[in-house]
Amino acid sequence: MKAATNPASPPDIDVRPQGSFAAAGWLAWFSLREMARRRRLVSLSLISLLPVLMVGAIRIWFPQAGITAQMQLAALAHDIFMPFLIPVVALFVGVPAIGEMIDDGTIVFTWTRPVRRRAIYLGRLLAAQTVSTLVLSGSLALCFAVMVTEGPQVITWDFLKLYLQTFVIIAMGVFTYASLFAAMGTFFRKPVLPAILFAFGWENLVSNIPARVQELSLRFHLQNLITKPEAAPQDLPGLLGALLTTAFHREPVPKVQSVLVLAAVMLLTTVLGIWLFRQKEIAK
Amino acid sequence: MKGAGIDSSHARITADRVGKWFGEVIAVNNCTLSVGTGVVGLLGANGAGKSTLFKMLAGLIEPSHGTVRVFDRRLRQDVGWYRRVGFCPESDALPDWMTGREFLALMLRLMGFEKAEINRRVGYWLERFELEDAANRRLGGYSKGMRQKIKLAQAMAHDPDVIFLDEPLNGMDPVSRKQSIDLVRELGQQGRTVLVSSHILPEVESMTSEIILMDRGRVLAEGAVAEIRDKIPEHPTTVALVSAAPRALAGFLIGREHVVGVQVDQENRVVVSTDHAVAFYRALPGWLLGNGLVVDEIVTLDDSLEAVFQYLTER
Repeated sequence: MKAATNPASPPDIDVRPQGSFAAAGWLAWFSLREMARRRRLVSLSLISLLPVLMVGAIRIWFPQAGITAQMQLAALAHDIFMPFLIPVVALFVGVPAIGEMIDDGTIVFTWTRPVRRRAIYLGRLLAAQTVSTLVLSGSLALCFAVMVTEGPQVITWDFLKLYLQTFVIIAMGVFTYASLFAAMGTFFRKPVLPAILFAFGWENLVSNIPARVQELSLRFHLQNLITKPEAAPQDLPGLLGALLTTAFHREPVPKVQSVLVLAAVMLLTTVLGIWLFRQKEIAK
Repeated sequence: MKGAGIDSSHARITADRVGKWFGEVIAVNNCTLSVGTGVVGLLGANGAGKSTLFKMLAGLIEPSHGTVRVFDRRLRQDVGWYRRVGFCPESDALPDWMTGREFLALMLRLMGFEKAEINRRVGYWLERFELEDAANRRLGGYSKGMRQKIKLAQAMAHDPDVIFLDEPLNGMDPVSRKQSIDLVRELGQQGRTVLVSSHILPEVESMTSEIILMDRGRVLAEGAVAEIRDKIPEHPTTVALVSAAPRALAGFLIGREHVVGVQVDQENRVVVSTDHAVAFYRALPGWLLGNGLVVDEIVTLDDSLEAVFQYLTER
């Protein structure tokens, strides 16, 4: 170690915690860069290509079937993004957002800074939500690119409106699921199994029970927000026909109610997650 | 023996009857201690409870009972006080995807420093730990010694007044080890509080003579090594006196105050056992001068940290 001049200590050290917004912002930026490098993101990005493949298949094999771009988009959002892609991506990015740092011990360095615990938590959560949204946005953008190859007539105001609406709803779904999964990742020692059970057990079961029980699932409220397209053609073959004809069997509730439920779940799970995080013991 | 030698009225770190259980395992049991300024070694075998105590003091874990305070604050609640605290964990975990420069910069950013000051401090500490060449390399590619250095740098870069170093020399080469020991001593001389944990006695001995000794979750002793040594009555301190007239000297010392045994060894040295080494050393010059005796050399045989540690842990 060479001799070097030590910068003088400030005479009066401010012992107030860092501003939560600034600290959360810096942590989110660095966490975003960290999460973007994770190998699992490659797998998630590949899985997210599923809707693109489906749109491509329709373009190639059913060009004259009368399935409009709006119908494709609504069906994909309703049957692929909401029941499958949003929970999967939010689960595999949200669950480790906080828990992994605690497990691997790197949390020590941020924990011993004058930063409020909520800022650490929110920074990590925001990064997880952003990464998940970006993954699914990429998929949605590719779907759009494939759809518009049909010709300029596809780009109508209604289509663009539905596209933006779908994007916002997907983002809202990702943010809600990621908040929930991050809280689970903070609470459970081995959180992946409970998260999978929730996403594909509870959500599947409850969202398919008729009457008001289905309102207890996040998926129901997300699907409720999607604008129904015009009736699907009845003579479509196989899986595609099944998807389009069974897609919208839901008892609708007011859209405002669904937005409020999703926002409330996001808020409550975030507050719960912060509370759990504050109680955490960094034993590694 | 708790509190011996350390001025608790100026304590920056205190623990009051603190304990920690993990399930049925008692990691730390009813520890009370106070640490003032300077370097203090927290010593104990692996599993003695040092790291758990460290984590409680640094606010990483909550005690099962008792209280821990730094600057009379509970760090888990008053997180703003981390501005005055540095922590170097034992764990090797680092954000491997970051470069050394980015890591230090983020740590300083979270301390609230502005960009110009961050750059200045990052440059200083990278230079101080001779990491300039590796500054833009990912931490994942750092050697064990380099990782240890960057952990030390992040604990010191914001000029904290209290620094916790948990096994800070693990994995360092001898040169870096020596430099780090010098740095720790320098920080102690600057009036900072440096609590260093280690299970390697010579390491601690080279940094400080003030120790807290732990065994099986309990604080066995706290204070200066020599003072602690004096308080182990079962093992009187042994001193060898080299003299031209060993038998005359031995005869004179028999029965003197604080002398509990005298013998002449095979090397013709007078080996004295004393129950109070400090008082014995104070009285010896007067006895020699007053009786025309000459001693050429005095060697203390068992007041090393190792001996103290051994005696205390075998109790």
